[in-house]
Amino acid sequence: MLKNWINVFIYHTKNNKLFTALNVLGLSIGISTLIFAILYWNEEHSYDQWNPEKDNVYAVLNDMGGGSIWTVNPAATAPALKAISSDLESYCYFTTNYAKETIIYNGKKELVNKIFSAQRNFFSFFPFKFIYGNGKTAIQDNSSIALSEETALRLFGNENPMGKLVKHLDRLFTVRGVYQITEKSSVMPEAVTSTIEDELEKNKGQWGYSYGLMLKIKNPKVTASIIKILDDIYIEKNAKVQAKEAGLSLEEYVKTYGDLIKAVLLPLPEARLYNGNYVFPEENGNRQFLLISMSLSILILLLSIVNYINLATANAIKRAKEVGVRKITGAGKGQIIAQFVFETALLTFFSVLLALVVVEIVLPYYNSFLNKNLLLIGAQFYIELILISLIVIFVSGVLPAVYVSNFEVLKVLKGNFSRSKKGIWLRNGMLILQFAIAAFFITGSFIVYKQVNYMAAKDLGFKGAQVLDIVFKAKKGISPYERYKTVQQEALKIKGIEAVSGALFSMGTRDNSWSSFTYKSSKAIMIQEMGIDFGTLDVLGIKLSKGRGLGPAFSSDTISSVLLNEAALKAIGENQPLNKIIDWRDRKFKIVGVVKDFNYFGLESDILPMIFYHLTTKNVSEIKDDVRHVFIKISSRNVPQTITDLNKFWSEKVDPDYPFEYNFVDKNFARTYKKYEDQRDLFALLNVIVILIAVFGLFALASFSMERRLREIAIRKTLGAETSILLRELSGQYVLYCLIGFVIGIIPAYLLLQKWLENFAFRIDIPLLPFIIALVSLLLLTLTIVLAKAYQVTKVDVLHYLKYE
Amino acid sequence: MITIKKLSKIFRTEEIETNALAEISLTINQGDFVSIMGPSGSGKSTLLNIVGLLDSASAGSYLLLGREMIGLKEKLKSKARKENIGFIFQNFNLIDELSVYDNIELPLIYNNVPSSERKTKVHEIATKLNIAHRLKHYPQQLSGGQQQRVAVARALINDPKIILADEPTGNLDSKNGNEVMELLTNLHTNGATILMVTHSDYDASFSQKTILMKDGIILSEKLNHRNVDVLVTNSNH
Repeated sequence: MLKNWINVFIYHTKNNKLFTALNVLGLSIGISTLIFAILYWNEEHSYDQWNPEKDNVYAVLNDMGGGSIWTVNPAATAPALKAISSDLESYCYFTTNYAKETIIYNGKKELVNKIFSAQRNFFSFFPFKFIYGNGKTAIQDNSSIALSEETALRLFGNENPMGKLVKHLDRLFTVRGVYQITEKSSVMPEAVTSTIEDELEKNKGQWGYSYGLMLKIKNPKVTASIIKILDDIYIEKNAKVQAKEAGLSLEEYVKTYGDLIKAVLLPLPEARLYNGNYVFPEENGNRQFLLISMSLSILILLLSIVNYINLATANAIKRAKEVGVRKITGAGKGQIIAQFVFETALLTFFSVLLALVVVEIVLPYYNSFLNKNLLLIGAQFYIELILISLIVIFVSGVLPAVYVSNFEVLKVLKGNFSRSKKGIWLRNGMLILQFAIAAFFITGSFIVYKQVNYMAAKDLGFKGAQVLDIVFKAKKGISPYERYKTVQQEALKIKGIEAVSGALFSMGTRDNSWSSFTYKSSKAIMIQEMGIDFGTLDVLGIKLSKGRGLGPAFSSDTISSVLLNEAALKAIGENQPLNKIIDWRDRKFKIVGVVKDFNYFGLESDILPMIFYHLTTKNVSEIKDDVRHVFIKISSRNVPQTITDLNKFWSEKVDPDYPFEYNFVDKNFARTYKKYEDQRDLFALLNVIVILIAVFGLFALASFSMERRLREIAIRKTLGAETSILLRELSGQYVLYCLIGFVIGIIPAYLLLQKWLENFAFRIDIPLLPFIIALVSLLLLTLTIVLAKAYQVTKVDVLHYLKYE
Repeated sequence: MITIKKLSKIFRTEEIETNALAEISLTINQGDFVSIMGPSGSGKSTLLNIVGLLDSASAGSYLLLGREMIGLKEKLKSKARKENIGFIFQNFNLIDELSVYDNIELPLIYNNVPSSERKTKVHEIATKLNIAHRLKHYPQQLSGGQQQRVAVARALINDPKIILADEPTGNLDSKNGNEVMELLTNLHTNGATILMVTHSDYDASFSQKTILMKDGIILSEKLNHRNVDVLVTNSNH
């Protein structure tokens, strides 16, 4: 039986080479798109799966109210929690960012990108495999360092690194462990120290939110009670204390300062795809992008399956006679279905093979697009691939097979079955579905394109094209502020450098600091602290809308003058803000100017209230020594030379240990919408694929149905029909399907894209244009394909068809 | 073998009712060679299709080997068909995509005959019908007569109880037509039961009994005489 089926299959393949090839191609494009999505999906879901502690480890997040959830914690909470709760096995504070610093051994300097600091029990939360030493003693004290296998190799070559001394941040560390990271993990450091312990000791009992915090809880049922205890600790030790200091009751305090902070426990396996702030230094996966690419891929596979079903049922009519004869010679319905499903299985098998080849070839590009290193391996992947194949075979095979098996023998063998109307509703329905998917993709990708363009072109309120942002590293023994002042003077001597100014912030980075202020009797308002030097706003091209900027001419400007941005004024509802007094950091400050709003975090976020003050303002802690960014404005002429000179100056005079690194301020900011550019590119690429599949499907289907009408056309022609009338007759229905499909497709496109646009505080309104473009391009495509085919069909040899049947 | 009583078939469209068969009764015994004649639309093909279980009747009774076939479920009909009936068509109805061998083998496959046995059987019958040298060819590569012999081979391979032939010579020239008719006569001589629809008096004369139909009823039945054989002999000279 199998041999017989294969013979027929081979015959059809041979005699319909183009058809078979396109069918396999269509299906394999669909499958490979899904393979790509699955590889990505698997990788993102593989994070932390290796970790035997994964079900016991939770990260503590803090819901600050107003939809803002912080992933950092005060030094005070965990020790207090440990003292109360017996359910808590252990806790571990860690830095939520990697540090990028040099590690020096024997004069050999290596720049290490991912230096991580956590409490000494870190390796019981992430039990990496140790090649030298063990997790218990690897960071046993503040002068111990654990290295990853790669880092150890870079520093020591084949030497045994254990017990060796390395220099890092002007301190000496002893290597006490070398670990190996084989699987994806939320924390994948290249070096680990426990220097955070010093800071924790210093900030003991403090309530500044600065550290990542993990808890190990053996019993998942007690998470609720742990959260309750964390909330109580906050109320008792922070909220009530603060309320008392302010002379308020807790209720009044809540009324003035907003809702109480609530703890949230995030299980480790969910951390990677957590939709919000980064929990661990490895950063979060792009969950939305992952979901979008997965669902678009499924949609494309669906499209290619629909295409396949359509062609298979259309083609089946050619095989009606075979089915009839088989039935007469004794084949049951089941056997006919089995035969056709078998053929689909063979085609699917080839398609999967082809898809794997396609994936293998395209994978490097895909990897660089996602910035990943995905590989075509893994038992999980192949199981999924088999599952997908089975689903494809089932969905695309069974429907046409059942359709075929229902052919009535008598009609098939006797009459003009090839003109039967049977199954036409199915094919037309599928065609409409194809049009709908295509309309969805065209409008969707166009709207995404519009929004990304809008972001790239938007006036951000600052000018960063010729401004370098250089991260300024602290150095032992010298005050960063003094050092910055020297650098400023020296750098200005370099040709091409127009201005130099420092700040505590930089647009598009994650550097931010918050506190609250009050105005008159207003409620406390959270405000972003923006420490600046005198010329900073000019360097960044940030404009003032009222008053004046800070300047050295006014001695009060380093004591009690501040600027607010427009958003802050809106928050306090003050139209005449100049010379008004606000309460901030337990002191009175005078508003001397108003800064025009500019974007800071990216266009997803609104512009929030900001306060600008001079770096050296007294009593605003030791802010001046936190100076993190030096902005250097360069002339547009001879940029490379200026940068080379600056590089030389920097690595000789400022920081010989650390390589010179700079970013343009506008590029920094552009990174905040990089992921949306990715989404745009993905959508556009898939759009091309969708249109390809749809065009091919439409062509094949139009060919099949028109060729079945050859006799009718011949008769019409004999009766004197003109070509133009015939063309209209033949293409009319497709235009109708196109319109129906379009209407069905744009509804989900509108709703989903509306939802997608809600990501952005700064967004476009959905314009009419994408819909018009989708409609016009779909109609054009349809007409081109259908008319071309119809024209060919009307040129038939009339006699041949009139005599033949 | 076949007993038909008061068999009717009515085609209904929205406005017209057509009596394709009106209460026909007919008996065919084992070893009979019966031909049905009549003008177009007389109901002869409809009758053949009902006998062949390809079509269903509107009323009446049809016993095949003593079993009532009217009102039988499609699955059982299909089973009865594959076990008892071999078809020969005017347009041969071979599968173009399969070789001669594969075409003949088909009924054996669907009757679950083991592969080795299938091979011997196909070769046996092909030799018998003088198409053994054509087994690897495809239907399109054969002459009409050869194609019809392949179709006969396919109809016979399963040793059906009755052979139904629908104008078996209709698409053939007289030489090839003659060959096919001789083939059928030989089969009949060896004990096969044959029911044949034909337009040709000449073809009908090969059979034992000719039934003449018109407008859905049987007009007459006549027994063909021995002299038919004489004629055949003559025509061979």
